[in-house]
Amino acid sequence: MMNFISLLHPFSLEIGLAIIILGLFFLDLFSVQAKKNIGSWAWGLTFLLLLIHLSNWKHFVSALSSTYVHDALSFLLSVFFLITLLFILAMSKSYRHRFERGHSEFYMLILLASLGMITLASTTDFLLLFVSLELITVSFYVMNTYLRTDPKSIEAGLKYLVLGALSSGFLLYGISFIYGLSGSTHFSDIARYASSPEANAKVLLFGFLLVMVGVGFKMGSVPFHFWIPDVYEGAPTPATAFLSVGSKAAGFFILIRLTNIFFPHFQNAWVLLFTLLSAITLIYGNLGAIPQKNIKRFLGYSSIGHAGYLLMGFAAGSTQGLHAVLYYLFSYLFTNLCAFWVVILFSKATESDEIADYAGLSKRSPFLAATLFIALMSLAGVPPLAGFFGKFLLIRAVVEKNLIWLAVLGALNVVVSLYYYLMIVKKMYIDEPQNPETIPLDPSSKIGLSIAIAGIIGLGIFQAPLLQWIESAVKSIL
Amino acid sequence: MHFGILTSILLCPVIGMILILFTPRKSEQAIKIISLIVSGISVFLSFIAYNRFDPSNVLLQMEEKISWLPQYGINYWNGVDGLNIGMILLTSIVIFTGVIVSWKLNYRVKEFFALLLFLVTGVFGVFMTLNLFFFFLFYEVAVLPMYLLIAIWGSTNKEYAALKLTIYLLLGSAFMFAIFLAIYSLAGAHTFDLMTIKDKVTFDPAFQKIAYIGLFLGCGVLAGCWPFHVWSPDGHVAAPTAVSMLHAGVLMKLGAYGIIRVALFLFPQAAQAWAPFTATLATFNILYGALVATQQRDLKYVIGYSSVSHMGIVLLGISTLTVTGLNGALFQMFSHGIMTALFFACVGHIYDECHTRFFDELGGLAHKIPILSTFFIIAGLTGLGLPGLSGFPSELLVLIAAIKTYPISGIATAIGVVVTTFYVVSAIMKAFYGPLNKNFEHIKDIDLWQYFGRGILVAFLIILGVWPKLFLNLVNPITTYLLLKGF
Repeated sequence: MMNFISLLHPFSLEIGLAIIILGLFFLDLFSVQAKKNIGSWAWGLTFLLLLIHLSNWKHFVSALSSTYVHDALSFLLSVFFLITLLFILAMSKSYRHRFERGHSEFYMLILLASLGMITLASTTDFLLLFVSLELITVSFYVMNTYLRTDPKSIEAGLKYLVLGALSSGFLLYGISFIYGLSGSTHFSDIARYASSPEANAKVLLFGFLLVMVGVGFKMGSVPFHFWIPDVYEGAPTPATAFLSVGSKAAGFFILIRLTNIFFPHFQNAWVLLFTLLSAITLIYGNLGAIPQKNIKRFLGYSSIGHAGYLLMGFAAGSTQGLHAVLYYLFSYLFTNLCAFWVVILFSKATESDEIADYAGLSKRSPFLAATLFIALMSLAGVPPLAGFFGKFLLIRAVVEKNLIWLAVLGALNVVVSLYYYLMIVKKMYIDEPQNPETIPLDPSSKIGLSIAIAGIIGLGIFQAPLLQWIESAVKSIL
Repeated sequence: MHFGILTSILLCPVIGMILILFTPRKSEQAIKIISLIVSGISVFLSFIAYNRFDPSNVLLQMEEKISWLPQYGINYWNGVDGLNIGMILLTSIVIFTGVIVSWKLNYRVKEFFALLLFLVTGVFGVFMTLNLFFFFLFYEVAVLPMYLLIAIWGSTNKEYAALKLTIYLLLGSAFMFAIFLAIYSLAGAHTFDLMTIKDKVTFDPAFQKIAYIGLFLGCGVLAGCWPFHVWSPDGHVAAPTAVSMLHAGVLMKLGAYGIIRVALFLFPQAAQAWAPFTATLATFNILYGALVATQQRDLKYVIGYSSVSHMGIVLLGISTLTVTGLNGALFQMFSHGIMTALFFACVGHIYDECHTRFFDELGGLAHKIPILSTFFIIAGLTGLGLPGLSGFPSELLVLIAAIKTYPISGIATAIGVVVTTFYVVSAIMKAFYGPLNKNFEHIKDIDLWQYFGRGILVAFLIILGVWPKLFLNLVNPITTYLLLKGF
């Protein structure tokens, strides 16, 4: 019996999450009262899980012949995903009215996708990685089409399905190449093969490039970004928010694990690949955002721009680059979720996602306007907010590697992005509202948004605690 | 650790801002009083710092150092010497009078004062920090609230001006930041502490050259350096009164201060090499600003362009790389800060009363609003360098230094001063004398409270005009020391 428990111990978080999902399922089936409050149940249980998980700090183990590890990095990442999950669950409550039916299932899908993300954080094997990625993607297929009567949502779901399936195909194809060469799907075996003298570097690189197609789809980097604007616009907003933070981060986290294996063996190709990807993604995302009229589409393009920034960290290929990527993702978590939450609350009151309707928001709801203002400024990278410090770390990492032009491009894109973020700020603060009604806010959203703002400002000013945590996490995988 | 006076000055506006955010929107009077009190405390603390400051000591004083992210070379490190003690004083005076001048503001009061205090935090921070990371951070904090302050509370083409200003200043700061990072990485400093970089790192001459001019231009954008000054007249004209005062009075000095504190301080040899070039740019500033000012129809534009011209004198003073020139430049920074604040404070009142600033519609105001006119004329006379007011010694010092080092620039500056006299006098003539516009029969002069606010500024102009040593004593030891040592 003891043996069995110790066998399960590494999976305690995952099992906990699965129990929550099943528990909600039964609550939904048997209790009418609980059915109404299923969102609160989900949130409360997840919060409890986060607390238990945090108290498990430093119990690092590995399982399944070390294809599944709990190291400092996976601990950090799982905390990342749990925080994201809590935000998404909370903001879904404000979006509830848009769904005709299947309220409880939507929460379960969110939890299911997070389960995929959390297993992904711990896996060091391509097979498990693929399974967890599919768990995420399949959950999103359903979530994206959740507004069943809205053609845009159907289009979003279909687009995501077709392109997602295609990218999964590429990913599998790449994995098969790597497996064919090295005879293993385990990361450390592949690393051992790659550094051995008989390694076939060219084919291995080809396999890696194919894997990158699948990962690039998740990250939303150019040229795998085509789905982003349409899906972001059409999907239910909580799903969009989850895509933009959770799913995107998942892509980057895979790449962090892969950096160790592949970077030492083809540095030149790696640096070339990621500098180019980063530069193109930066330019495309930032220029694409300028003419947008729909706020979700707009945030979609801006999220492409952010993928460009994050790729800078991989272009640097250094541990500093990885620190920067992780810090940036944490700052992005608070910032982007804050922005999307405002979008949800705004659309709840006005039934609109058009940027033009944000005119005069500062008069209709000073709190929402101020919150969105801070979030947008943090996205642009304005000090003393979190986004600034993330960008600072990224640009610094790139400069250290002598990629000056990429750093300059990054800095110039800050100016471009500030231009289009300020356009929205102008709408909110300067233009007159067409409809001067005030927008009502429930206290729980107000608290949630305040927490997000506290995160944005806190990470911007007191960088040391998170940075130390990140440094120790990255050290654990070297 | 003893009482950190600099941090206390820095925290005054922050605390004020937080208090304002928790004050209900409706109690406008309370918000104004909070702003007045915190800015009053910052004036008081600045004077304590000034009192405690020992000018004969050329080392940093009142240092405060907290290690922030030591592994990244980021430390919260403040200190004052002769270069910045005056600027801190200037900032606190201008914000204090700025709050008084904005007393009648009644549109979205809460946001206005919160943003204003946030901006001032950034300004204080830039002037007192000795770490390049914090320098950049505070610099952006000082620049960005400007967008909203101009775009919401401004006038005349405000949205265009606000965006133009923001984009220009941001591009400049992006440039500056790139150089900071290059110092950090490429030059191998691996710290952002200015003093440590100065002591430990020797720069490659080629790197110095690029870095110096990059910093000069990056900071120069904010200092209104020709040809990157184009944001400044538009921005100053569009901004609401208190913001114009702060912006022209203090923010443009941030740029000049950055050039002295960072560029000149770290790369003196490169400064020498670039000096003819930067002096030429500065000469263009002086002449171009003055000439364009003669052609304006809008009173505020005249002042906007006069700022460009006067900042040219600062830049020329820096470019001479002599003790006299630097003293003059620093003096001009202080004097112009006070003078321009007074200018904008006066124009603000005229606009509030008459709802126009065009010369064609103004005229004869001196009969109706004699006190304000007197104040404006005093500011004007300072601008044209009348002896007895603080503009005279500062411009004279720069002129002497310039004629010695760059005779052509010196002569051009002298011509610029003549042109300045022309536009200032003709602006005074057109706006305050001549026939009075019938519409303005009922305009009111400033009340006692506003008189007090502007009176503070006038007092400084006169005191420093008749007793320039008061300021020169502050800066002379450090400039002499730095130039003797070759920085």
